[in-house]
Amino acid sequence: MHLRLQVGFLVVALVLSVFTARLVQLQGLDPRQYARLAAAEGKVSVVLPATRGAILDRFGRPFARSTDGLMIAANPQLSAQDAPALATLLSRRLDLDYFETLERLRDPDTQFQYIARQVPAARARAVVADAVERGLKGLELRNDPVRDYPAHDIGCNLVGFMGTGKHGVPKARAGLERAFDRQLAGTDGEARYQTGASGRRIPLGDNTVTPAVDGTDLVTTLDRDLQWYTQRVLRQTVLGARGDSGYAVVLDTRTGETLALADYPTYDCADPQDYPESSYTSRALADVYEPGSVEKVLTASSLIDAGLVTDRTRFVVPPVLMRQDAPIHDYFDHDTLRLTLAGIIAVSSNIGTVMAADEFAPGQLRDYLQRFGLGQRTGVGLGGESAGILPSDAQWTSQVGDRIAFGQSLSVTALQMAAAVNTIANGGMRIDPSIVQGSATTDEGRTVGSDEAGLRRVVSEDAALQTMRMMERVVDPEDGVAPGARVAGYRVAGKTGTAQRVGPDGTYDGSFTVSFGGFAPADDPRFTIYVVVQNPRNGGGGGSVAGPAFSRLMTYALSRYGVPPTGAAPSRLPVEW
Amino acid sequence: MSSPSSLRTARAAAAPARPGGVRPAATGRARLALAPRFPRWGRRAPRMPFVVLVSVIAVSGIVGLLLFNTSMQQAAFTATQLEDRAADLSARSEELALALEDLRDPQRIAEQACRAGMVMGPTAAFLDVDTGRVIGVPEPAVRGACGLTAPTPAPPTRPAPPAPAPAAQPRGVDVASPLRFGAGRGVAR
Repeated sequence: MHLRLQVGFLVVALVLSVFTARLVQLQGLDPRQYARLAAAEGKVSVVLPATRGAILDRFGRPFARSTDGLMIAANPQLSAQDAPALATLLSRRLDLDYFETLERLRDPDTQFQYIARQVPAARARAVVADAVERGLKGLELRNDPVRDYPAHDIGCNLVGFMGTGKHGVPKARAGLERAFDRQLAGTDGEARYQTGASGRRIPLGDNTVTPAVDGTDLVTTLDRDLQWYTQRVLRQTVLGARGDSGYAVVLDTRTGETLALADYPTYDCADPQDYPESSYTSRALADVYEPGSVEKVLTASSLIDAGLVTDRTRFVVPPVLMRQDAPIHDYFDHDTLRLTLAGIIAVSSNIGTVMAADEFAPGQLRDYLQRFGLGQRTGVGLGGESAGILPSDAQWTSQVGDRIAFGQSLSVTALQMAAAVNTIANGGMRIDPSIVQGSATTDEGRTVGSDEAGLRRVVSEDAALQTMRMMERVVDPEDGVAPGARVAGYRVAGKTGTAQRVGPDGTYDGSFTVSFGGFAPADDPRFTIYVVVQNPRNGGGGGSVAGPAFSRLMTYALSRYGVPPTGAAPSRLPVEW
Repeated sequence: MSSPSSLRTARAAAAPARPGGVRPAATGRARLALAPRFPRWGRRAPRMPFVVLVSVIAVSGIVGLLLFNTSMQQAAFTATQLEDRAADLSARSEELALALEDLRDPQRIAEQACRAGMVMGPTAAFLDVDTGRVIGVPEPAVRGACGLTAPTPAPPTRPAPPAPAPAAQPRGVDVASPLRFGAGRGVAR
């Protein structure tokens, strides 16, 4: 009896000693390595890619969207043995770098390596099936959405595209994709689970899932169909005039929302690599140029607002105006003319505008132009936007001031100028143009969008009204210079611009920037449209090149949005006296 | 607790009780105790039911666990299958949405419409269906070439830009007075 007890105790003691020794070995000598080994045993960690938010037009139609795609990954523990054959297959079928792929397939430190991301599902499945058929092991497929641009070149200069960064990870390269990358991208999630010997997930195994947070859609103010039409009309206009490039902006007069913003030449964001990088930006936001006579409406409305003139103020316009350093001419030869301010705008007389602008106190015009938004970024939320050049007070000599009064010696972007013209359309209130609907925060942390659009009075309602009436005379078939910009049945107010262009060497090189900016219906404006063509070689000017494009775009916009004519008679302001 | 030391303690405690002094008293008491011999085994509860009960519990436990495990596995497979099916269906729905969106591509619609002989209206005019009044200036649409709807041009293979044409200035063109731009400042000619 006692003997048995003693032996029993002895055995227990021996066993416990062994346990203790093992415990010390495990916990005391190298605890971390064992923990790592245990954790790695049959455990798999998977990235759950977040679905990137779409970029939509104002009606929810996509410019950019994410669709099902697959990533091809490798388990180097399995793929290492057949690595050369696999690398050959993958590099050939997926256009990957052979040596980099080989290195990844052989990586001894991991059970998971990216091989290719965002492969269209069908292609990825075919490649992996091909590998399996050849007895090559170690490849696996994982969910990885693909970025798709269903409208191709429509809106690309604003939308941008996703390129490929390091290790094949997608990277926003341009446009809204880049400016709002953080919002669109979301956050990738992760799943860790245990697998059995077969590689199948163990149902009751250790499972942790951090779900992916999908990106948020970005809704723009653009109208995809109108954007298409605008781009096509612009293309036809630029090619027809044999110009270098062009921009067209369609704004909703009341809200400042950009309904269409076209650039030419453009590119296809679904295949950006086929186009030069210079075509990726939006020239309407990045290019600066001298606006020419369209700017005269800003000068005229400022003069009226300051109470210095009215639309009927009479001027005697000589054939040549001698100023301090040089004579100022009009584009057409004329004897001394007796023009009203409306007449000066209607025939676009530089001499008349300079004479009227002489009424300004020093610095007054500059203040007005600044309030019209010139010389400052519109801040629509896209990177690479230019501020334009509004000479400082120190640079504003009387000669510079003369030229600025008729739109030379200062530089603008197309969107800036469109917003300035829109101020006249909107009864003298300038509203910030927007491209993002509602409100969104850029990666730089700026909150932009139509909800954030600032509103400020630049000129009085009466000054805007008088300016509108003068602008109506521009499209008059008898008295104006741009009858081609008329829209049948509607009252249209507009202004032509034909400016000398500054060449690469910083001097006027003999080429022109032609433009037309205006709005309709003139007495209850709904749309403000601005069309610019750089360096037309057909001898055309603002009225003959950009005017008809304006008319087509305005006709389309009015009929698309069901805006009927107001039925009122157009202004018959006297142009001469 | 170390067992050898307790063993020693037990033995030390038991040893003094052995010597003879105690034995006679114990014998006398034992004799008294021997008289009534009750049947020890007869009164005990029957063993079988207990064994059966334990066996049943054990077996049903094992079987239950087995069934549970099987059903869990089954559920896991079903879940996987359903997940695959859901993935397939959502891929399919996405594919259809894609196809729909491709059909809505304005370029495609424009090309098809133009091929079908449709023409864009040259003016914006409206018909008031209540009064029958025509608002705006309607004009008949004239069929032209599908130039506007030409597809996206192929990537540019830029030809050398033609020599700048002499800047003709027809009537209807307003050219600001000729100026040269020098050193950032306009210098009038």
